[in-house]
Amino acid sequence: MAAVKINELHKSDLPWILEYDESKCIQCGKCTAVCSFNAIKPAVETRKTSNSIVNKEKTEKVLVIKQNVSLDNYCRGCGMCANVCPNGAIKLIRNEDDKYSVAYRAQKADSFKKGGRSNLNTEGRTLDKIKIGRISQMTDPSLDAQRHTFELKTPFGRVLKADKLNFDVKDGKIIETAQLPPNRWIYPIIFGDMSIGAVSWRMWEAMAIATAYLNEVHGIPIRMCTGEGGIPTKLLKSRYVKYMILQIASGHFGWNRIIKSMPEMTEDPAGILIKIGQGAKPGDGGLLLASKVARYVQEIRGVPKADLLSPPTHQGLYSIEESVQKMFLSMNAAFNFQVPVAIKVAASVTSVSVYNNLLRDPYNIVGGFFIDGLAAGTGAAHEISLNHTGHPITSKLRDCYLAAVHQGRQGEIPLFAGGGLGQTGSFAADAFKLICLGANGVFTGRMLMEIAGCVGSDTGRCNACNTGLCPAGIAAQNECLVKRLDVDKVAQNLVNYILATDIELKKLMAPVGCSTLPVGRSDALITVDKHISRRLDIQYSC
Amino acid sequence: MVCIIHTLKDNDRMSTQELLQTIARKIEEGEREFEIEACGQHDITGKGANLLFRITNPGQRVGAMGMDGVKIIVDGSAPADIGWLNSGADIVVKGDGGDTAAHCAAGGKIYVGGRVGTRSGALMKHDPKFEPPQFWVLKNTGSFSFEFMGGGIAVVCGFDCDGLSSVLGNRSCVGMVGGVVYVRGKVEGLAKCVEQVKLDKFDKDFLKSGMKEFLQEIGRTELEQDLLDFKNWSKILPLPKEQKEKKISVKEFKEQEWFEGGLFGDLVEDNGEVFGLAQSGDARIRKPEWEKDLCIDCSLCLNNCPQKAISKDLTRYNADSDRCIGCGICSAVCPRSAWKMV
Repeated sequence: MAAVKINELHKSDLPWILEYDESKCIQCGKCTAVCSFNAIKPAVETRKTSNSIVNKEKTEKVLVIKQNVSLDNYCRGCGMCANVCPNGAIKLIRNEDDKYSVAYRAQKADSFKKGGRSNLNTEGRTLDKIKIGRISQMTDPSLDAQRHTFELKTPFGRVLKADKLNFDVKDGKIIETAQLPPNRWIYPIIFGDMSIGAVSWRMWEAMAIATAYLNEVHGIPIRMCTGEGGIPTKLLKSRYVKYMILQIASGHFGWNRIIKSMPEMTEDPAGILIKIGQGAKPGDGGLLLASKVARYVQEIRGVPKADLLSPPTHQGLYSIEESVQKMFLSMNAAFNFQVPVAIKVAASVTSVSVYNNLLRDPYNIVGGFFIDGLAAGTGAAHEISLNHTGHPITSKLRDCYLAAVHQGRQGEIPLFAGGGLGQTGSFAADAFKLICLGANGVFTGRMLMEIAGCVGSDTGRCNACNTGLCPAGIAAQNECLVKRLDVDKVAQNLVNYILATDIELKKLMAPVGCSTLPVGRSDALITVDKHISRRLDIQYSC
Repeated sequence: MVCIIHTLKDNDRMSTQELLQTIARKIEEGEREFEIEACGQHDITGKGANLLFRITNPGQRVGAMGMDGVKIIVDGSAPADIGWLNSGADIVVKGDGGDTAAHCAAGGKIYVGGRVGTRSGALMKHDPKFEPPQFWVLKNTGSFSFEFMGGGIAVVCGFDCDGLSSVLGNRSCVGMVGGVVYVRGKVEGLAKCVEQVKLDKFDKDFLKSGMKEFLQEIGRTELEQDLLDFKNWSKILPLPKEQKEKKISVKEFKEQEWFEGGLFGDLVEDNGEVFGLAQSGDARIRKPEWEKDLCIDCSLCLNNCPQKAISKDLTRYNADSDRCIGCGICSAVCPRSAWKMV
């Protein structure tokens, strides 16, 4: 047996340590069969059979389960092995002295990439320090959340001030003197942009079904953003495209099929979202590693099986003004100025400047401003970007809203906030608080993954979305893993979650006494943190 | 002897407190019959058995918390909350009632000879140890009537309602979970949690006997024949919980409305099968491959395979894909690495 050397990878360097109880193991092989990361294996150990000094040569070979010690095939802690073990013989223990990412960089001379969430939660969440503190009791009537009528709708598209509306009165009737900017009343939650490729075809279809079902059966006008990976032609030519917000990002993937389908489209899409940046990795472009570029992904995107790196910026756009002229104008033109066009940027110190500039858009073609916070997830990123770049969503959303308020222009370009919503358990509460702080709506990808069975956590479990080996079949692209995902169940669960969230949003709107969305109603919020109170301009309570 | 109380003398109005305490004192002194010329005083009723009140111009909540053995007759109309929390009194209002008439009534009878306002009959209840409350209205109710109703019987006769789109107002019966509302005439905007159905024989018998007494009390006996023509009557009942949501399921939506063969049907091969974890066949992440040249025919693989998937014929070993889950034990125990997991 070769000697163990210090300058090689050891089990104690890995992020998760397998704890194996041999006495409980029946060697059924399920744990090793289920592991998509090939991180554990059956192995034969040689053991002494007796402690006798006379028979000291006597050994036997036994079958055990062992952990792979490898930079490529290592345990991410997903826990599938423990889930399938009939006897509880396997446990995964988080290694607090993990050296894996050091070893990776040292041995591969490459930046460490991962997917999922930032696992460096250094500051706690602002939203958790905010409560809904203004409850209508004797002051004004509160509502009955279950039984009264609520209007959970928000504008998507440019909103003109009353004096700028192109209306005139002719023969006692209001007439439109020029076309108004397109505007749609949609549900204040948008299924956030996860591309075909970043997620599996089954996951993407489940989200699309849930979207269509909520619209057509429950009358909830929820929209789904496609992500930058194209959209199946079938969907483009169907009536369901009106629930879809098409995304264009710096890679411009998938637009060939969109443009080719245009003559046969019977409905306009719900909108277009220009992705400039994403909260999980601001300043970095989209990333889809070759392992996930399955054949159909290659087709839709028009690329071979290779690592797909979207440029960090839109090539050809060098200023905010130019982006308005070029991107917004072109995207408005694509559907004859009938479809709202919005933009998504990563929250940043500079977000307010961008928003202010867009507010001055003289053509009225900027239909929404999406801000994506630091805690957002992603299909793949360099760990350095994921963990160390970005800006929390709450204060930046607030800054943008107040910047508009100070100019008397709030609501003209609707604000949508996202990035890690639902991180600590309540998506509805997060959404409601952001709406009170000035958001017209929110977007989420994270919750959709969690609902679909994602096993990842904010403390480092799994988060291997970049590998294509997603044990839940959500972010995988090979058949044996994707087919673990039950489209019907995931679609149903997504629907159920939104129905539950709908009730919860009403449960928060009712006591505040609002039957419509309380956009900017920061008087409804209190905080027990003085700094947050001062920064967000909400009441300090103790 | 009838105890007559005038509540307004020389511009001096008796307060609600004075009036109610006067009534209480008189009852204690043995008075049983009252004639009250009220001036908007609230909560007019009395505590005791065999009490009769004839009232004009009452304020809100006439007959509130009414008790068994109390009868109240209002000559004319009464404002909001007639018979609020009525527990047993018989209350007759010959004119119109205001909003929230019979609110939370759980016993007794409330008869109104005109219209009642919004949220009337809301939160009515029925304690099964006692007779159910009855609430009869000659004409119509305002909107949100019978909201959150939990029990009891309401009868809305829809008389003199020509031109009204709904004799129960809009959004009637929201949150209704018990009791029954009999109604004559058009109903619109009913809550989704209830159903409107035809009367059966029991209902008709109840209405026949009850109508006689109701019309006598409000002094409109001439209407009996018209009102007992059952062709315009129906009743509203809460839907059983399982019937409230009659929407198609996501699965049905997918089967009936979604793309045949799935959204990605022309892009990937997918028959919709859902793989369990650690299963055989195509669900395997890794599959064993056997290499003849390396095999020394020791049969360790065959003996150790937990799925009994490996078999041996004359010249070769074979892993049955219907049994093999891809655990790799064959590969681990093989002394010559003849099995490889790929």
